[in-house]
Amino acid sequence: MSSNPHSYDPDLTLVADAAPNSATHSRSGEGGRAARELDWSIYMARAQGGDRDAYRRLLKDVTPYLRSIAARHFQNSGDIEDTVQEVLLTVHAIRHTYDPARPFGPWLVAIANRRVVDGLRRQGRSRAREVALDIEHETFAAPQANLAETASDGRVLREAVDELPPGQRDAIRMLKLQEMSLKEAAAASGMSVAALKVATHRALKNFRKMFGRQGGKT
Amino acid sequence: MITTPDLIESLVAGAKPVRRLRPPVARAVLWLLFALAIVSLLAVSHGLRPDLGARLGRPLFVTGLAASLLTGVLAAVAAFIVSLPDRSRLWLLLPAPALALWVSTIGYGCLTGWVGIRPDSVTLGEAADCFATLVLTSIPLWLAILLMLRHVALLRSATAAVAASLAVAAIASTALALFHDLDASVMTLMWNLGTAALLVGLGSAFWERMFSWVASR
Repeated sequence: MSSNPHSYDPDLTLVADAAPNSATHSRSGEGGRAARELDWSIYMARAQGGDRDAYRRLLKDVTPYLRSIAARHFQNSGDIEDTVQEVLLTVHAIRHTYDPARPFGPWLVAIANRRVVDGLRRQGRSRAREVALDIEHETFAAPQANLAETASDGRVLREAVDELPPGQRDAIRMLKLQEMSLKEAAAASGMSVAALKVATHRALKNFRKMFGRQGGKT
Repeated sequence: MITTPDLIESLVAGAKPVRRLRPPVARAVLWLLFALAIVSLLAVSHGLRPDLGARLGRPLFVTGLAASLLTGVLAAVAAFIVSLPDRSRLWLLLPAPALALWVSTIGYGCLTGWVGIRPDSVTLGEAADCFATLVLTSIPLWLAILLMLRHVALLRSATAAVAASLAVAAIASTALALFHDLDASVMTLMWNLGTAALLVGLGSAFWERMFSWVASR
């Protein structure tokens, strides 16, 4: 393909010493768009001949435009950037199909639309097969695992703690609610570590009985 | 994931001079010249059908032949045009009038020649010979147009596939009409429309896969 790269050199040599970036950005409206596309067309013609600076300028110039096209179809910034990159890759792969005698805009937009459609199809496929997990989604299938904790649960637990015999109540408060270590709890209560363990064990057993009575299950 | 500025730098670093594609009509002409070469080679090796001279005196045959040839030419032009990203898909309609004429000549031949069908009018040997002609014409043409349109893999490959397959089918059918005297109406219909439909179907089905294979080379 590149055996004779200069045989198709265009007659377009307008931008030799123009200041294209500033010129591009200062233009506005229809005339500005036409002028911008003319710049792009000339950059591409030069890029086809191997001018890397013109090619870099072109790709950098079209990127925000491509991003705006992609943003019309995708909300996720990752999807938008993916689409922009795929358009740039396609432009690179088929840059020899651009004819500088024709406007650059429709050529670029046609490629961009193609990649947007591909992206939407990919998104449609993945949406059909995958479900995004949000925080509020279930973690386990069993209904008991997904009961949300409510204020009444806390009240029920505090009442249950109050119902416990004093030794067990102190053990549960220190070890579970205040999250003290066994040593700290032993020092604070004057009970031995073994006695605290036994009291905690019995307290949990009592809880099981109490809540089993309420819920019908242990 | 690579960032867009990094991607641009890597593309720029790999940017070599490229040779621009010739205008689509010029490329279609190149392909048609290749088709002409294939059909001529077949004519030399196989020989034209013996009754071609007499057949050329019949308006229906001439119209059908011209219509299938024109369908092939216009479908090839359409394929090369729609393969470019910025051209309208309406170019696909370019071969439609010729295609309609071709189909109607086959249909007309079928209606008027219906009575003439005899069970022994086509032998297995002839049918196999026909099939060989079909394969010998269509496969090189198909490979050639596939190679010439390989950039379409990244664009509207299905649209180009329909036009390209129709071009190949129409040219192959024209070759069949020149080489074989299978004018029993059902056979004509089967060979012409059947092979055209088969080629368009196969072409469209495998086009994308073939293209991504060719494009990756």
